[in-house]
Amino acid sequence: MKYEVVIGIEIHCELKTKSKMFSGAPVVYGAQPNTCVNEIDLGHPGTLPSLNKEAVVKAIQACMALHCEIDPLVRFDRKNYYYADLPKGFQITQQFHPIGTHGYLDIETSDGLQRIRINRLHMEEDTAKQYHVEEESWIDFNRAGTPLIEIVTEADIRSAKQAMAFVDKLRNILVYLDVTDGKMEEGSLRCDINISLRPENTDAYGTKTEIKNINSISNIEKAVASEITRQSALLEAGEEVQQATRRYDDVAKDTIMMRLKEGSVDYKYFPEPNIPPIQLAQSWIDQIKVDLPELPDARAQRYSSLGLNEYDIKQLVQNKALSDFFDILIIGVKNIKLAANWSCGEILGALSQKQLEQKSYALKISELRAMINALSDQIISSKQAKEIFPYLLKGESYDHVVTSLDVSQVSDESILKQLVEEVLNENSQSIIDYHAGKDRALGFLVGQLMKKSKGQANPALSSALLKTELDHRKP
Amino acid sequence: MSYQSIMKNISIHDRVFEALKKAHDVQPKLNAMVSFIDPTSQLEALKPKDNTLPLYGIPVVLKDLVNMKDTITTGSSKILANYVSPYDATIVKKLKEAGAIIIGKASCDTFGMGGTNKTAATGPVYNPYDLSRMSGGSSGGSAVLVASGVVPMAIGTDTGDSVRKPAAYSGIVGIKPTYGRISRYGIIPYASSLDHVGFFTNNVLDAALTLEILAGRDDLDMTSSQRPVEKYTEACVGNVSGQRFGIISNVTDAIQNKQTMRQFDDLCQKLKDQGAIITKIHLNDDLMKAMLPTYYVIANAEATANHSNLDSLRFGVQVEGKDNEAIMMASRTEGFGPLLRKRFVIGSYALFTENQEIIFRKAQKVRRLIVEDVQKALSSVDCLIAPASGNGAPLIEDSQIDLLSSEYLVAENYMAFGNFSGYPSMTVPFGFDGILPLGVNLTCRPFEEGRMLNLAQGIEDLTGLKDLICEVKP
Repeated sequence: MKYEVVIGIEIHCELKTKSKMFSGAPVVYGAQPNTCVNEIDLGHPGTLPSLNKEAVVKAIQACMALHCEIDPLVRFDRKNYYYADLPKGFQITQQFHPIGTHGYLDIETSDGLQRIRINRLHMEEDTAKQYHVEEESWIDFNRAGTPLIEIVTEADIRSAKQAMAFVDKLRNILVYLDVTDGKMEEGSLRCDINISLRPENTDAYGTKTEIKNINSISNIEKAVASEITRQSALLEAGEEVQQATRRYDDVAKDTIMMRLKEGSVDYKYFPEPNIPPIQLAQSWIDQIKVDLPELPDARAQRYSSLGLNEYDIKQLVQNKALSDFFDILIIGVKNIKLAANWSCGEILGALSQKQLEQKSYALKISELRAMINALSDQIISSKQAKEIFPYLLKGESYDHVVTSLDVSQVSDESILKQLVEEVLNENSQSIIDYHAGKDRALGFLVGQLMKKSKGQANPALSSALLKTELDHRKP
Repeated sequence: MSYQSIMKNISIHDRVFEALKKAHDVQPKLNAMVSFIDPTSQLEALKPKDNTLPLYGIPVVLKDLVNMKDTITTGSSKILANYVSPYDATIVKKLKEAGAIIIGKASCDTFGMGGTNKTAATGPVYNPYDLSRMSGGSSGGSAVLVASGVVPMAIGTDTGDSVRKPAAYSGIVGIKPTYGRISRYGIIPYASSLDHVGFFTNNVLDAALTLEILAGRDDLDMTSSQRPVEKYTEACVGNVSGQRFGIISNVTDAIQNKQTMRQFDDLCQKLKDQGAIITKIHLNDDLMKAMLPTYYVIANAEATANHSNLDSLRFGVQVEGKDNEAIMMASRTEGFGPLLRKRFVIGSYALFTENQEIIFRKAQKVRRLIVEDVQKALSSVDCLIAPASGNGAPLIEDSQIDLLSSEYLVAENYMAFGNFSGYPSMTVPFGFDGILPLGVNLTCRPFEEGRMLNLAQGIEDLTGLKDLICEVKP
């Protein structure tokens, strides 16, 4: 039998805010355990939440990028359950009135263009992180109270490829918005993927499983594909899929059962009494729209209008940090294509992703730009540029490197030969004079060549090359 | 003891240590204190400051729900018996800035949940006017410490009537301003949408001054109001002429005690003589009777979530267990008495998905109807008035109460409408039931504390019942 795959995705995304969702404690990834906490994060008696405005702005930005309707009356609810990583014994979330609803995201795969509807986008707070060390469990409360948005799609996704494309595109958008750093491997973007199969051309949903703990974009496709294979094998064998939570094992390349879904927990949601409903002014929301950063699609369009090819555009746009680097580089650059080549080539090779993201490199973009312009003007050759570049990476200035390496003299024969051609073509009388034995003619031609090269041609080499070419042109 | 009389003592050291001594002396009789705070460091910090601070060197006590850094705050519970606060409540900061010296924590019903103070982990608090009678609750310890002249002001909290009722039973002033007027940050909650910070004083003017100090916006409490704080002391002139009082006849009709009603009628006559306009307001009887059950549903539902943080993993008295879940279970079972567990069960039950519409949401609707009824009443009068209870403080030993009578449902519990609505409400003494003090309750429109204090001042002037101290011989 042929089966249709039905997939819905829930994404939890940590917001890149300075402080927590409901307390003034800082949000710092990788800080010493239990150092970014205050009495509110630890759920001490008598503490109250105060809403982080920056988090609301980021949630609204995400809503806008996903074409969601925004509820201007911001409300929060309590989700009640007991767990060691939940200090208050409830999580503050937006169960009844999510800030964003009815959005969508268009993705493109080899299946074509497809619209994935977004059911809801809501704000909430993260839990603490538990570590099980032998017999003990340790809790790091740094993560407790970190602002999150949860994005829930409709069950519109039909293949592993689409699932990956959706998360990849969504992640990139959120990174462009600076809403999150989007690192799946560090858990700042976590997706739960619900998968079920049903016979083609039927409406009823099959039994679904939920896959958690996927730590990279590429593993999404692998995880979903292997789960589809597993479920179809079960169905083909006439067996039933068990409703369960599974995880993807990178080594086994398969999904592994974590726990069976038993009767659902009653979270006893009710409105959070300590946060009164907050009416957002339309003008305030509108301003967020005006200030919205450039999104990947818009950036791709801009690059296209700059004349970059599809490949370069894709290379740049999918890596925001690189693309941001490129955008600075091209301010005043003479050859955009050359700048793109260098960005996607040497820069990507020389700088780590982390360096690009944190701008923690010694290289001065203005100096790279000077070099690219010189290259474009043929003042230096690409071979020379490759010699110069390592020094620029160390933070040296282009002029300094050029002087100290003495590469200001153009000694590249291919460049000089072209100049020789040009000079000779433009000065036919001098060729006649030269062959007539007038020594001054050679001097004149060398001078013309020097002028053309803005004084940077290697005079001896130029002279030799001129002589050789003049001999070729002996009438 | 009034602020004025304690300030006659020039030495702030003496003011504070005399209060501490009195607190210790009356402790065997009243059982009002849960813990004492060594005031030395506070006094040291205060000395270089300006002696014109409004509460310069005034000893005060906090209800045992108020966090003060490095002091024990038990909430009069077992589970927090060892809890040392890591932070100051906003009102503690404000009190310190005003020059007050905090000398201890006063007993209350566990987490403020009760109206008798009999559920405190340290046992009942006794009424100074008759030691066989209760202080009332939940802020009972705070009330009797002011009533017996230990301190001139004590902080309480009021979720149903937990400041106003014990104030009435103790012959002192008890006030809870509008919801959002005083920050709740740092106060162990009972039910967040109903909780108010309030306090006790010996006279109305002291209450006005205290409110000026405690009121104001706090960014740590999102429900606190941005409105500027008024000069309440200047409003407190006692002019009742032309002011419209609405007697809540549902309450007066339900009161059986003739002595109470005679004195209340006298008071109303005197107000009339001063030019006040007195009318009767009859609130919806069904809603008045529904008040207490509605209160229980909302308060317990919020409370069950509010106290879910008490899992003894990060603080609190921990009972051993094989894993986190076992520790939580054992600690909560051990740390909460049967009464508290019952409240949490009721609260959870009301919140279950299958019950939420018919219990919790319905209670919210009834709450809204009650508020609308009170709001309507306050559109035709400036102040709703009625005795705070029909009788003086009850005996501590369980008396026979008909839980379904109007006397109990209406006359003894109507003041929760001030919590449902968040409207400012206070009680001041107006007479006696035998030797037991009686209080009259005033409720005004939101943020009209100035008006309310002025009217209360008028009543105080007419009755002459101010600065009542009931000394307790050790």
